[in-house]
Amino acid sequence: MRNKRIQMLFALLVVALLIAACSPAKPAATTAVQATDEVVEVPTDAAPAEKVQVRWFVGLGAGSDEGTFAPQKAFVEEYNASQNEIELMLEIVDNDVAYDTLSTQIAAGNAPDIVGPIGVRGRDSFKGAWLDLAPLIAENNYDLSDYDPALVKFYLIQEQGQLGIPFGIFPSFILYNQDLFEEAGLNLPPAKYGDKYVMPDGSEVEWNMDTLRDVGMMLTFDSNGKDAKTAGFDSTKITQFGFMNQFTDPRGIGTFFGSGSLVADDGKTAQIPDAWNAAWKWTYDGYWKDWFIPNGAYGGADFLQGPGGPFSSGNLAMIHIHTWYVAPWALGEVKFDWNLAATPSYNGTVTSKMHADTFCIPKGSKDPKSAFKVLTYMLSKEHATSLLSIYGGMPARLSLQGDYFATYTETNFPDKDDINWDVAVAGMAFADNPNHESWMPSFQETTDKYNEFWNKWSNTAGLDIDAELEQLRAALQTIFDAALA
Amino acid sequence: MSLTSMVNALRPQKNFKTKISSLQKKEALWGLFFLTPWIIGFIGLYFFPMIASFVFSLLEFNPTVPDQAAYIGFDNWRRALFEDPEVGLSFLRTIRFSAISLPIGLAFALFLAVLLNSKNVLGSQLYRTLFYMPSMIPLVATVLIWNGVLNEQTGWINIIIQKFTGIQAVGSTGLRWLADPQLVYLAYTMFGLWGVGPAMIIFLAGLQGVPTELYEAAEIDGASWFQRLGKITLPMITPVILYQLILNVIGSLQYFLAPFVLNRGTGFPEGMTRFYMVYFFKQSFTFQNMGYGATLAWLMFIVGIILTVILFGTAKYWVFYAAEDK
Repeated sequence: MRNKRIQMLFALLVVALLIAACSPAKPAATTAVQATDEVVEVPTDAAPAEKVQVRWFVGLGAGSDEGTFAPQKAFVEEYNASQNEIELMLEIVDNDVAYDTLSTQIAAGNAPDIVGPIGVRGRDSFKGAWLDLAPLIAENNYDLSDYDPALVKFYLIQEQGQLGIPFGIFPSFILYNQDLFEEAGLNLPPAKYGDKYVMPDGSEVEWNMDTLRDVGMMLTFDSNGKDAKTAGFDSTKITQFGFMNQFTDPRGIGTFFGSGSLVADDGKTAQIPDAWNAAWKWTYDGYWKDWFIPNGAYGGADFLQGPGGPFSSGNLAMIHIHTWYVAPWALGEVKFDWNLAATPSYNGTVTSKMHADTFCIPKGSKDPKSAFKVLTYMLSKEHATSLLSIYGGMPARLSLQGDYFATYTETNFPDKDDINWDVAVAGMAFADNPNHESWMPSFQETTDKYNEFWNKWSNTAGLDIDAELEQLRAALQTIFDAALA
Repeated sequence: MSLTSMVNALRPQKNFKTKISSLQKKEALWGLFFLTPWIIGFIGLYFFPMIASFVFSLLEFNPTVPDQAAYIGFDNWRRALFEDPEVGLSFLRTIRFSAISLPIGLAFALFLAVLLNSKNVLGSQLYRTLFYMPSMIPLVATVLIWNGVLNEQTGWINIIIQKFTGIQAVGSTGLRWLADPQLVYLAYTMFGLWGVGPAMIIFLAGLQGVPTELYEAAEIDGASWFQRLGKITLPMITPVILYQLILNVIGSLQYFLAPFVLNRGTGFPEGMTRFYMVYFFKQSFTFQNMGYGATLAWLMFIVGIILTVILFGTAKYWVFYAAEDK
């Protein structure tokens, strides 16, 4: 009998534990109020109104470099201090993992409220996941007259709606290390589109990809001080490189030679545009034959490490890059002089790829109205400039473009008064169309596949690139077929 | 197993039902009652998710746009089995890597256990602790440490090799452990060797369970160390080897963390590290093909079951249970 009672008691205890474990937790707010009761007499049913939390996800574009953390945080603090309704919460995720992180968050029903700055690649990687802002724009009578209508339309996507409001434009150009040119006794690359390049022998040649390769080779040195054009150059002991397309992917490298897309106009056939074919072969030769571009093996070399990647190491003479790189996080601490030059031409045509960033609100945002309120603050005339100067972008607002670069230089590079911003602005006339980051079927899978090939090419000498290109095209077609089936 | 033997195997259960007493019934009920939390956990955390994942496998389902999910029947299964070459390739890579890492890992753990079981080793407890310690370090940290150790420019393995052999191991033309398709599986196997601690301890427990009189009798008969190892030690610990083998085979099929930490699942170099689970993760969470990812998970589950059954099936030919009447 006694055993039976003990058993019953034990069973009840187990049931009680199970019920306790399964019951919902007490709301944290109640606990907080109880805790406050000890100090101030606040009735539990009259707790102060809580601020709406708006989560801002940074990482798909600019803003995940360490140097931008503090100013972004300061911007958030300034916003939070400016009003009492919304608490803006900053989430910076490294660009390498930002895509996986965001997709996991969205899939888990934990989507952030604002994502950005976000370029075309970031936007199209999450096709269908963004909120159409048109109803919010209409509801708030948001004024778009300060933007180029074509740029506003750039974010109006068929079957998806107005996914963003223009924020920043990031033209591209050649960025060069002036000291390395002077040490090698070479003339600087052209500061204006259309200008010729003056070779060491005084001859003037077109500033095109052949010239860039020649100059790049003359700026590539081994440990014996021989350049890549000199007999006896030791490619196993390179200590300085001439050129690279920094912080871009194969589509960006292809676009260096001309605009194009891996998807044909029918939207389902895989293709390698001719200009990209040429650009990739040129780069492959640059890795393994002409040696003026650091290949995969040299990519991790100590002498190419710097806060802003290889260029800021001081051992790379030229890169092709966007305005977002001309920022303190990348160039603030470098010990050499640098400047901007024109993008070279290919077959007589210049293509200077463009990044255009915005901020998007995911469909999964728990409070899109509050998110839009924050968005309008970020894009406002008064505050957009602070963000743009963190990310190094040209303002999309026409009224802010006037003296933007003067202010930007004064703020970020007060000791440098010779930055050739004109060439960046002029580069906008050669923007890539279609954009190098534009949509492809099964976006991430396709990106993964061409990156896999690119990793192989940058790490393996002696490949039959034509055969590789055909393999890549076939692999992409398989992905497209599966995605569009 | 013949049909008759299967029927005979089932027969005692039938008898059990008829012979069960009320006390046994009560005890069985109490047993079930105390198992209830586990059963609830199993149903909630394993069974329902498995059913859900099977349902997902019949859908085209992108988690970022759940409203666009559509029923597509067995299209995902057809794609995985017949149309997607990467499924077969990633599975082959997994098998190939397992064929290298699994025997090396098991042999190394057994080797350490045999050494530490020797009476002639001084301070065996200290060694046991030292060999076990690396497995207490989180695997992510281990992988990152090895990434540094194997760095072609600054890693001390290359520096040592170059210093003592004169081979050009350091630099961009040196030994690129993590970038050379010929070396990468060996490098990943080395990461794994750091985590042999638990396997070593289990082998050690198995070795210590071998009756000493067998060794004494063998020694009297003049058996050498190798003969004792081959004729006594290994047969006596075959149940432990089987256990380790099954765990390691399943672990190998699920190999994911090292390639993901090192290169975010890009498959670098040349797709060599896009193992099956990496491909599953990429499809599910990066490419956002959750329906297809669920299909891949189910395929791996089925392969895992088949391999486990095969291993158990072969056990009767090579696993020796001392208590068995053979």
